[in-house]
Amino acid sequence: MPKQFEPRIVGFLCNWCSYSGADQAGTSRLKYPPNIDIIRVMCSGRVDPQFVLKAFQQGADGVLICGCHPGECHYAEGNYKAARRVPLLKKMLSQIGIEEGRLQLEWVSASEGERFATIVNEMTERIRKLGPFNSNGGGNNG
Amino acid sequence: MSESTTKVGVYICQCGINIGAVVDCEAVKNHAATLPNVAVARQYQFMCSEPGQEMIKKDIREFGLNRVVVASCSPRMHEPTFQAVLKDAGINPYFFEMANIREHCSWVTRDHVEATEKAKRLVQGAVARVFWQEPLESREVPVTPSALVVGGGIAGIQAALNIADAGYHVYLVESDASIGGRMAQLDKTFPTLDCSACILTPKMVLVGRHPNITLLSYSEVIGVSGYVGNFKVKVKKKPRYVELGKCTGCDECTKVCPVEVPSEFDMGLKNRKAIYRPFAQAIPSAFVIDKKKSPCKITCPAHIHVQGYIALIAQGKINEALDLIREQIPLASVCGRVCTHPCEDECKRREVDEPIAIAALKRFAADNADPDRPIKMGALTKKQKVAVVGSGPAGLSCAYDLFRNGYRVTVYEAMPMAGGMLAVGIPEYRLPKGILNREIDAVKKLGVEIRLNTKIEDAGALLKEGYRAVFMAVGAHKGNGMEIPGKDLKGAYDAIDFLRETNLGRRVAIGKKVAVIGGGNSAIDAARVAVREGAESVQVFYRRQRQDMTAMTAEIEAAEAEGVNLNFLTTPARLLEKNRKVGGMECVRMELKELDASGRGTPYPVKDSEYITEIDTVIFAIGQTPDLSLITNVKGITTTRQGIVVVDPATLETGIAGIFAGGDMSWGGGTVIEAIAAGKRAAVSIDRFLQGIDLKEGREEDPLRARDIQVTIPAGTKEAPRPPMPELKVADRCSNYREIRLGFTREMAIAEAERCLSCAVCSECRQCEVACQPKCINHDMKEEILELDIGSILLATGHDFFHAPSLPQYNYGRFPNIIESMEFERLCSGSGPTGGKVTLANGKTPESVAIIHCVGSRDSHSNSYCSRLCCMHAMKQAHLVKERTGAQVYELYIDIRASGKGYEEFYEKVQREGVLFIRGRGAEVVGQGGQLVVKAEETGLGRPITLPVDMVILSTGMIARKNSAGVASIFHITRDQHGFFMEAHPKLKPFHTNTDGIFLAGTCQAPRDIPDTVAHASAAAAEVLSLLARGKVAIEPLTAQVNPERCSGCRVCIALCPYQAISLGGTENQKTVEVNEVLCKGCGVCVAACPAGAITTRHFTDRQILAQIEGVLAR
Repeated sequence: MPKQFEPRIVGFLCNWCSYSGADQAGTSRLKYPPNIDIIRVMCSGRVDPQFVLKAFQQGADGVLICGCHPGECHYAEGNYKAARRVPLLKKMLSQIGIEEGRLQLEWVSASEGERFATIVNEMTERIRKLGPFNSNGGGNNG
Repeated sequence: MSESTTKVGVYICQCGINIGAVVDCEAVKNHAATLPNVAVARQYQFMCSEPGQEMIKKDIREFGLNRVVVASCSPRMHEPTFQAVLKDAGINPYFFEMANIREHCSWVTRDHVEATEKAKRLVQGAVARVFWQEPLESREVPVTPSALVVGGGIAGIQAALNIADAGYHVYLVESDASIGGRMAQLDKTFPTLDCSACILTPKMVLVGRHPNITLLSYSEVIGVSGYVGNFKVKVKKKPRYVELGKCTGCDECTKVCPVEVPSEFDMGLKNRKAIYRPFAQAIPSAFVIDKKKSPCKITCPAHIHVQGYIALIAQGKINEALDLIREQIPLASVCGRVCTHPCEDECKRREVDEPIAIAALKRFAADNADPDRPIKMGALTKKQKVAVVGSGPAGLSCAYDLFRNGYRVTVYEAMPMAGGMLAVGIPEYRLPKGILNREIDAVKKLGVEIRLNTKIEDAGALLKEGYRAVFMAVGAHKGNGMEIPGKDLKGAYDAIDFLRETNLGRRVAIGKKVAVIGGGNSAIDAARVAVREGAESVQVFYRRQRQDMTAMTAEIEAAEAEGVNLNFLTTPARLLEKNRKVGGMECVRMELKELDASGRGTPYPVKDSEYITEIDTVIFAIGQTPDLSLITNVKGITTTRQGIVVVDPATLETGIAGIFAGGDMSWGGGTVIEAIAAGKRAAVSIDRFLQGIDLKEGREEDPLRARDIQVTIPAGTKEAPRPPMPELKVADRCSNYREIRLGFTREMAIAEAERCLSCAVCSECRQCEVACQPKCINHDMKEEILELDIGSILLATGHDFFHAPSLPQYNYGRFPNIIESMEFERLCSGSGPTGGKVTLANGKTPESVAIIHCVGSRDSHSNSYCSRLCCMHAMKQAHLVKERTGAQVYELYIDIRASGKGYEEFYEKVQREGVLFIRGRGAEVVGQGGQLVVKAEETGLGRPITLPVDMVILSTGMIARKNSAGVASIFHITRDQHGFFMEAHPKLKPFHTNTDGIFLAGTCQAPRDIPDTVAHASAAAAEVLSLLARGKVAIEPLTAQVNPERCSGCRVCIALCPYQAISLGGTENQKTVEVNEVLCKGCGVCVAACPAGAITTRHFTDRQILAQIEGVLAR
């Protein structure tokens, strides 16, 4: 039986809210697919577009960026910067063949373990449907 | 650092079965051993234990490791633990990386094989990253030896005392006028049944007296900046209007205060006055005045204390009412008659029935006060002389204010009598000359000199005659006329001239058929005067529509009642001559098109719509302009195209220093009250000018608009209509100039004044000032902003209670004897509304009471959590009901939570007293046959029951305070899903936040009872003391760093930094940016934005993160 396509997803989680939220998902023993590997940054505003591009280049099929809810950023405004960068980055990505849905920005607070698990579940399934990302030609069209 | 010299030690922790039962740690270890630069890889049961840590230290020694990776739990848990291990072993602690294979792997992954693969990937990422890590040194900063405690309930009080007793200074900020919080509102506390106030108030007194505590009551924190050890806190001290040191608490002021509002302390079951002390044992023990903004005072252009004199009239204090009005304007009777009363348009009573008849009440006070009552004024202390040109409302008000301030004032008036338009514009039937002159005489009696029949030809000359300042207020007494053929025929007049002549008692020859052109007050005045001068028919011609007329509606209606005809959308084109006089008028119909600046349609003539009207007199009332001859020779004063003088609207200065202008000739024209406001504004400007003070500072208008003020209509306000103003019958009016409006009687006035809703609470009637013996009341107090240097912050802001109306099945508010638990506390308290008697709303003693647990708790429809203390609270209340009334008490519960010391014993005691415990959630409370019926399920019997009772107490749960989102934002802390402030760790750090230096105490973090609150508060205080005692604190060096060689000085980063930590530096030729490491918090926003890669954050560099990305994705 052919093995199901297992997406590789890289998650950039901010130290204060979303990383704690993911920790809470753990302490609550919630279950989500193991396809996501989490990298800790101090703030979602730290996520450089080149991290996202590097991830896709190195074989990621999806990238998740999580930060604090607007108004609750530990650094006051960092997440607003992420909120501005990511839509612009998405536009750029679509122009170079990275389809809509592969890059996702979510707000997860430190008490939202369940929400984090739900987001990872949904994203994994979505990327699974999109199929593997082929960095030499882009998506399923390549 | 090269490949050959880097030696990484990798340690896979089993964490007992937490990781070990899911992840194959041996396999992960073996995989790690194959990774580049890994010198040793091990796995062990508990890496964080002592043997685990020793293992690392031993390997560092033996293998010469210079990097360490531990794969275990979250770095938020144990990163500091392992960093300390490295430090002990002589390695920089930042050469360490953790892979989270527990919270992010073993605990969340079902399949063991997949979990193991994921753990391998995470370790690979960590190993790749740690290679690029660099040695960093923590900064040490000093800690300011002072603490801030926010909230003065039992938690804040306890914490403040702990910190202060240890010898450190505490600022305790409390937003209410007294400390004490919720505990002060309780009657008895469980399980000891101690009187709450008895155990609380000694601590409150200690706080008030403590040399190390600065109590900032009636204050709020509005801003926090800085970082642990070095916070800068901005505190707003709200004006109390009572001076703290002087108030003796004698309570004389409340006896004379006319305003009552529901008391917050008594949960609205009792009223308090506008000046009040929150409760008898308040600390500070002084009174406070609850003063908000009233829509009427804000709207009045002269900001008269409207609410004040209305409150005084309601008390029958007519003389005091007039005194209050005359503190601000000299023309009370006049305004009471002719003011356009914009205040009434914003009066919030409109939301119940009709606005208060404010102008009529002002007239009543002015007409009925003691006629010989003197006007208060100061001595003639100032030597400078001021000239006022024009004795209209603007000039008179300016002279009045300046004179009472101590200046010598001379008013020049060109006409033979004073008053301006009040004398020669407004007809007698609206404003009798006798009334006007009485008020002008009062001003003259003060000592103001008014020189009649003296026209000033040159305003500039006045300055040379020894006047140090001049206020020009000559009004606009030249009618605009109309440029149409026939305008100079006999029988064509301008309304201004017509009204002036008739007001001066001189007859004007008018015919039988009079036409008045225009739609303003002058037009209506002219029309009604024409009626009285004997015209047979008077018609008004207006080029727009009725709703566009600027005349007062009441005046228009009165004119129509007197037989004046109004014609709309028509305007004269030319006058026709008959016997060398006006014999007719050709009019053209108008249509309205696009809206103009005033929001009204622009009129255009309709083609071929001319028609002739037979008239013999025309009065043009289409506008007026000032006579500016007095400034023709004064260079530097400019005028507009419309012919009015240009002034600075804030100060009324003209282009010449010392010459000011206002009213119809310049700014503030149009109505009497606006002219008065202009005169007052000029008086302030002139006073400042003569003292050499800045004219503009502190004079900004309050941006608050009347319509933005929300007013709670007090429950039980009954609708009551506004009394109609008694008037002369129409038949008695038209042939004479008798005053038409007759004024209110005393009964009407007092009844009308009592309809006032006291929107601002305190009405500024100033009676409290009169009654206060120590003279500690100051109504002009302003809020103060303090800036404090703080080392550590403790939040103890408390909680709110769930409010029952959100659960309509309990019918709270629909029946009087369904109350919430805090309301019962006040009912039970000796200082409460019933003096401690537990009674029904009708005063009778209840014979049966039901207490329903978990209202707003353990409920998916409101709050899911258990509020922890309500079971004990409810049982205590059951005991009190039993004790005070002997009633049958039912407790409807789901589970009994009685886990504290002595709690279970208390539960048994209450049961032995005969309180019936029914296991079943109280589902519904209805009214049946005049009684309350509680419906519930008796789960023991397994069937529904109904309980008829006299009273129901709803045990409502604790919830986060309404303002908790705003408070969290100010202090940069987060909240949990229920809105309570978020602790750093629920088990081990329940009083830390994620922000260094900020701690939590009490119910602001989670529901808890008093003993747990006190313990929590002391624990948080211990953390604060730990910081302050150390005197210094280590700050992680995760700050931004600039490589000046790469920086091009583009400055993108500067604008992005949330802390303004980046500035432009470098040299003249080579601008680069610089980071202030004290301000930088290391968020990295600048790094992500830098196009040149010139800035980086330490320990989170691009290279490190990119390596980690490669690591996790490598196959």
